[in-house]
Amino acid sequence: MTESKSNQAALTRPCVKCRAQEATLDSRSQPVCRDCFVKFISTKFIKQIDILGKKTRPAAGPSSGSSSGGPPTLTRRYLLGLSFGVSSTVLLHVLSENLESQLAKGRTAPFDLIVVHVDASSSLSREGADNSEAAAAAAEAVLNRYRARYPRFTFHNVPLSSSSSSTQSGNDSSEDALSLLSSSTTAPPTAASQSDLRAHRIRRILLASAARHNCQALLLGHSTTALAELTLAEAAKGRGFALPWLVGDGPAPPAPPSSGPQQPQVLVHHPLREALRKELVTYASLITDPSPLTDLISEPMRPGGDGTGSAEGTTTVVSYRDLSIEDVMTRYFAEVEASYPSVVANVARTAGKLVRRGGSGRDEEAAAAAAACELCGMPRDEDGDKRWRGELGIQEEGEQGTEGFAGQLRGRLCYGCERSVGG
Amino acid sequence: MARALCANCKTERAVIKRPKNHAKLCKGCFIQVFEDEVHHTITSSQLFHPGEKIAIGASGGKDSTVLASVLKTLNERHGYGLELVLLSIDEGIKGYRDDSLETVRRNAVQYDMPLKIVGYDELYGWTMDQVVETIGKKGNCTYCGVFRRQALDRGAKMLGIKHVVTGHNADDVAETVLMNLLRGDLARLSRSTSIVTGDSRSEVKRSKPLKYSYEKEIVLYAHHKKLDYFSTECIYSPEAFRGSARALVKQLERVRPTAILDIVRSGEDAARLVPGEEPSSCACLGQKAAAGVVVDDDVGGCGSQSGRTPGGEMAAMDKQLRDNEAHEGLEIDVTKTMAKGAVARGEKRDVPIRTGNASKGAPRQVLGNCKRCGYMSSQEICQACMLLEGLNKNRAKIQI
Repeated sequence: MTESKSNQAALTRPCVKCRAQEATLDSRSQPVCRDCFVKFISTKFIKQIDILGKKTRPAAGPSSGSSSGGPPTLTRRYLLGLSFGVSSTVLLHVLSENLESQLAKGRTAPFDLIVVHVDASSSLSREGADNSEAAAAAAEAVLNRYRARYPRFTFHNVPLSSSSSSTQSGNDSSEDALSLLSSSTTAPPTAASQSDLRAHRIRRILLASAARHNCQALLLGHSTTALAELTLAEAAKGRGFALPWLVGDGPAPPAPPSSGPQQPQVLVHHPLREALRKELVTYASLITDPSPLTDLISEPMRPGGDGTGSAEGTTTVVSYRDLSIEDVMTRYFAEVEASYPSVVANVARTAGKLVRRGGSGRDEEAAAAAAACELCGMPRDEDGDKRWRGELGIQEEGEQGTEGFAGQLRGRLCYGCERSVGG
Repeated sequence: MARALCANCKTERAVIKRPKNHAKLCKGCFIQVFEDEVHHTITSSQLFHPGEKIAIGASGGKDSTVLASVLKTLNERHGYGLELVLLSIDEGIKGYRDDSLETVRRNAVQYDMPLKIVGYDELYGWTMDQVVETIGKKGNCTYCGVFRRQALDRGAKMLGIKHVVTGHNADDVAETVLMNLLRGDLARLSRSTSIVTGDSRSEVKRSKPLKYSYEKEIVLYAHHKKLDYFSTECIYSPEAFRGSARALVKQLERVRPTAILDIVRSGEDAARLVPGEEPSSCACLGQKAAAGVVVDDDVGGCGSQSGRTPGGEMAAMDKQLRDNEAHEGLEIDVTKTMAKGAVARGEKRDVPIRTGNASKGAPRQVLGNCKRCGYMSSQEICQACMLLEGLNKNRAKIQI
């Protein structure tokens, strides 16, 4: 302490943390140096990964509570969803750093990591099969660059059109829901709906992959900003009931019985939940050894887009018709984040305090699983549905055509998915 | 498109594309459908009982004018047996209320309803113009909102009426939901979506029959029914959270028109997830859930929708939160475990950004009555009296 104080005078703008180096960056309106900034981000990460580590402590048998899941394994096994965007790439990098530092200390690896990229370029709609083949090849090429940089981890590329169920067993009505949806005549008509269904599809595929690979937890790269966006976007899409499941850390909602035999419960965690998006962008730009981390990132280095591949940056809006709800939120929070970062952080924190209903208790689990939405896999709010119909009158929904696809799926989808499927 | 027939009657030409769901309707069917939907809301939520005396909070603006018109129509059509009265508040803002109160006076004649106008000066001894003179343009919406909230209740009480209806529409509710998510106010989130607030303990209950009606459809309804309303925004407009949430709602509506109702739905559902709230979604229980809590949800109703909070609010909250974070950092060395425990339990991390009641974790507020004015309040002295005290002190100083 005393030593660093003597240094202080020599610096024009000392870092507020170490007081030993010149500050080159602004972190939460304080001047900091590069090293302290990098440390700041990894501290935030380590805090979260430690929380997860405790929940997934191996070999301790049925550890503490009902919330921890997964099969007993000797090491922890995590699955990381990689979108090639800034946040998930940074998460991959800090996970790797964490692993390397443990190994360097002569300890065993703290976890096994499987990295899965869901290739959304072959989207739900229109584009033909030949198109998706080229896209898959492109994704594979990007993935190879990641493999080269992080050789300790296993990487997989999964097409969006793959089955989200963990097994390939026959009786799969969620398959029905999805195949109905992907047949061209019923493809969702608007950008907003497509984006919504795609994002939830990706989530389900990642969860199913995690179960299939015997992973105890799915790690997502969401920053504070992304979680705040997610909170408001899902609220705007009518999924208020699912907010705590989507935004908080904890077990994934129990899978609907239709998706095959009983799966071990997978935790969903967001280890970067305490870092702002702009901080992750800065962090990525600071990592240049052995090569710039930004070289890996396919998404442009703007402070937007958390990897669902839908954000269009902050260019001027030409047509609102082509925007998704997520796009609107990304734009909105880019502004709020710039001026009021702590407000952004507070949104995510508050949403995490909402109570998970529809699957919290053990007894309710079975019931909740039965009432899960067949598209997004989130618990359905049957009480709310009943009331809503009562409040608004069913004819309001009926006007948009109950026959056909939407009609077939009535009662099997959550409110938000019904909206997206209907347009 | 010009040739399209009304999707409802299939005979008339469609002249309206409903903002709510893009259905193409003729004028007659639109008006019918709009009224039917409000009727549905009223009956399914059991808002009224026969013979009930209802005060319509009337500002002369589109929402309350449409509310008065629709309620009159439905009351006659469906035999609600309601006794409807117009109740207006005069905040004493020169140039703002003069014209709108004229409109309300005409409405009273048009709808054949009695009208009661209550002035801030008679209730509080201050007009809004005088308040602004004293405290400046920033932050005065707090006063206006707090004063108005009580004014409607007090006015209703004077008339011996126990139920006030306000013109809050779906856009307003959606805005409130997003705003409360934005500022992390779960207590208000759980309250703001219920259609009825207040219960038998409070002397006056409030409800919003237009809760599911789109602002745009309200404008269309007013237009096609050729209603006489006055459109102006309050000249002392607030910024910050509500303004921010409002802009966001408008953008979302452009991307997906159903978003407004979807947000309302999300708000209702999320309200049941607030720690300590009733998990039931039954409308009647919902009413109970909202009771026992001070009626201080956003029942403002000035053109700019009751910024109870001063401008620069977002900045203030941001600063507060950042200070909290900083303090937390300082604490850690000394009482590491304790600090960690507190964080894990999410204690005391929330900012009492509003001057109002304890805002967090949705604690049950204990309802009492203000020692000064007797208005129900969770504090010993209600917000209005606190604000008045401050104002009166200032006035004394100025006079010296």
